[in-house]
Amino acid sequence: MGKPMFGALLFGLLVIPPVRHLMESVMIVHMLVQIPLLILAGFLMAGFFRKSFQRFWFVWNENGVPGMLLVVIIVLYWLIPRTIDASLENWSMEWFKFISLPFLAGIPLGDSWGKIGTLTKSIIMFNLIPMLGLMAWLYIDAPVRVCNNYLEAEQKMLGWGFLMITAGCIIYMLQYAFTDRSDAVSE
Amino acid sequence: METVKSRNNLVVSYLTVGGVIIIAMMVFGVLMLLTQGGVIDLAPAAFYQFLTIHGTGMVGAAALAAAGVMAYFLSQYVQLSQKVMRVNLALFLTGVVMVIIGVFSFKYASAWTFLYPLPQLSANAWGTIGALLYLFGMLILGAGFLLFYLDSGRAIMKKYGSLAKGLGWDVIAGKKSEDDAPPKAVIASTMVTIVNVTALTAGSAVLIMNVINVINPAFTVDPLLAKNLTYAFGHIFANSIIYMAVIAVYEILPRYANRPWKANRVFLIAWTMSTVFTLLIYTHHLLMDSVMPTWTLILGQALSYANGLPVLVVTAYGALMVVYKSGIKWDMASSLLYLSMFGWVVGVVPAIVDATIVVNHVMHNTKWVPGHFHMYMALGACTMFFGFMYYLAKEDSDIKENAMNRIAFVAFALAIVSLSGSFLVSGALSTPRRWATHIPEWMGPAVFGAVAGVFAMLAVTVFVIHFIRYINKRRHNVHLEKTSHDEKPA
Ligand code: HEM
Repeated sequence: MGKPMFGALLFGLLVIPPVRHLMESVMIVHMLVQIPLLILAGFLMAGFFRKSFQRFWFVWNENGVPGMLLVVIIVLYWLIPRTIDASLENWSMEWFKFISLPFLAGIPLGDSWGKIGTLTKSIIMFNLIPMLGLMAWLYIDAPVRVCNNYLEAEQKMLGWGFLMITAGCIIYMLQYAFTDRSDAVSE
Repeated sequence: METVKSRNNLVVSYLTVGGVIIIAMMVFGVLMLLTQGGVIDLAPAAFYQFLTIHGTGMVGAAALAAAGVMAYFLSQYVQLSQKVMRVNLALFLTGVVMVIIGVFSFKYASAWTFLYPLPQLSANAWGTIGALLYLFGMLILGAGFLLFYLDSGRAIMKKYGSLAKGLGWDVIAGKKSEDDAPPKAVIASTMVTIVNVTALTAGSAVLIMNVINVINPAFTVDPLLAKNLTYAFGHIFANSIIYMAVIAVYEILPRYANRPWKANRVFLIAWTMSTVFTLLIYTHHLLMDSVMPTWTLILGQALSYANGLPVLVVTAYGALMVVYKSGIKWDMASSLLYLSMFGWVVGVVPAIVDATIVVNHVMHNTKWVPGHFHMYMALGACTMFFGFMYYLAKEDSDIKENAMNRIAFVAFALAIVSLSGSFLVSGALSTPRRWATHIPEWMGPAVFGAVAGVFAMLAVTVFVIHFIRYINKRRHNVHLEKTSHDEKPA
């Protein structure tokens, strides 16, 4: 069983209503587990789509930058508390979440990550670090409940979750920069 | 195609922009001192606008010029992206324009440290637009520099394998011999890459926090967190300037003295120590914040003593050894570079004194502090890239240094020592820093400093004019070369 199959299975699993409900009932799981897994599902499926629509990817995403731009925009969109709230209340938003994250973020990510150079990757990482750190602050310190569907305590927990991820990114970058990469680094 | 010429074009642009902005900012410096000295009558609001533009402009321009020095020498060893350098310059100029509009059209005046919650809480001295223009301007400027350092990090890793190897850790560990140590330009650039990527990442986070707070004041930030992030950005970034500029000393003095100056193990250890210390010592800006955990303050004090010293000692000692009895030819470049060593050494002394907690209780926020960093920045860091400008002019064209330049050199040295001395005297008189209005007892040193400032400004103008004359000459030469090429039969 290849990667795309795993991706499709993962996607199928995430769509099953009880799984979906379970994940969305806890804010931190919704934001930091379901959403990344949806992207991962798309990322794993990317191989299949790349093979099937070679020309499309070549014409539209030759150097990987357009694809990454799309990924960033979609991810940014789903970082906004209001959109998460809406996905719980509005069917079309929920649909959009399940379509956009794997197909407009995951798959382009799978196609683009290998194409973009080291510099672009590091720009993305070093944009992500302060952004996630900021999200941590926003959710920990927000003076109001930002989602109608979740409690303030859950919001705080999510904030700490973001902080952990930020710390993880920093540690990852440190080991990346301080261990030998002579072969891996490109333009 | 990257040619030496086109690469130099960008370096020349960095230095020209940096030099011209520094002259302009000196004008504001003099105007501030004249106001404090009671000679002219500037509204306090205008003083604080000048203070903001002077601090921001000086740090930004010096960093840009120093980045030019770093790029010039680093790219002799690794392949830097020209596109990134161009984008950095464009973002720098965009950021500067936004900052200028924010400060002068919208009266933004939080000083360059934009310490939370001041951008939002201005008692109506300025409004939302001014604050946003300034904060976004800084963000754009920072994004450009971040790009520049990410690229230098990438290039160093590509050539040497990792930042650890760029700092020569394998040589320190004894896995490689000292002969295989990376060149000094690479070591210094690696250090600056590490500290500045950290600084700019912290800075962008706190800038956005301020933006959110300005737009919606209900979103507050823990002031202690904001202060930590702000100084982690500001202190490190300002500090890094001298570590970029010093590359000029490393690369140029040995050429003049005709002696090798290779990185040995002590040199490598010193740079690694300064890398770590530079990241941690910003806490000396928080010595008065009693809510900080005590251990961080003690760390801040202890490491502040230690911070500059390793690199300063190996550099100053190395420079002395390279020059001693070498029969070095003293021209503008070598003289300025040598002077910069003096400026650096003398400039850190008041800082070390002030980083002592008991002294800080008295001297904190007095003009003692500008006394330290004007010596350190003007006579240390700026002098290094002024020296580089003369070096480049000489290397790249047949321009002659006239007597005017030598007069400017002496005037500059005396003027900066006098200016910094006047700040230190003010500090000893307990004159607070950043006060638009002084009581009569404080005015004397300010007026003296203003006169010294005028001379410093004139001297730097001579330096920059020399550099611009070189650019013209060079353009002329390129033109001649081209036409003589064209005329040659194929
Ligand atoms: C003609 C030369 C200069 C003059 C007359 C001058 C004057 C001044 C004055 C009057 C202040 C405010 C002091 C106070 O707090 O009361 C100041 C602050 C400052 N200057 Fe200069 N300066 C000069 C050159 C430089 C240079 C070359 C640099 C750095 C490259 C520099 C960087 C700064 C910085 C960072 C501040 C702190 C701003 C703040 O407190 O927010 N200055 N200068």
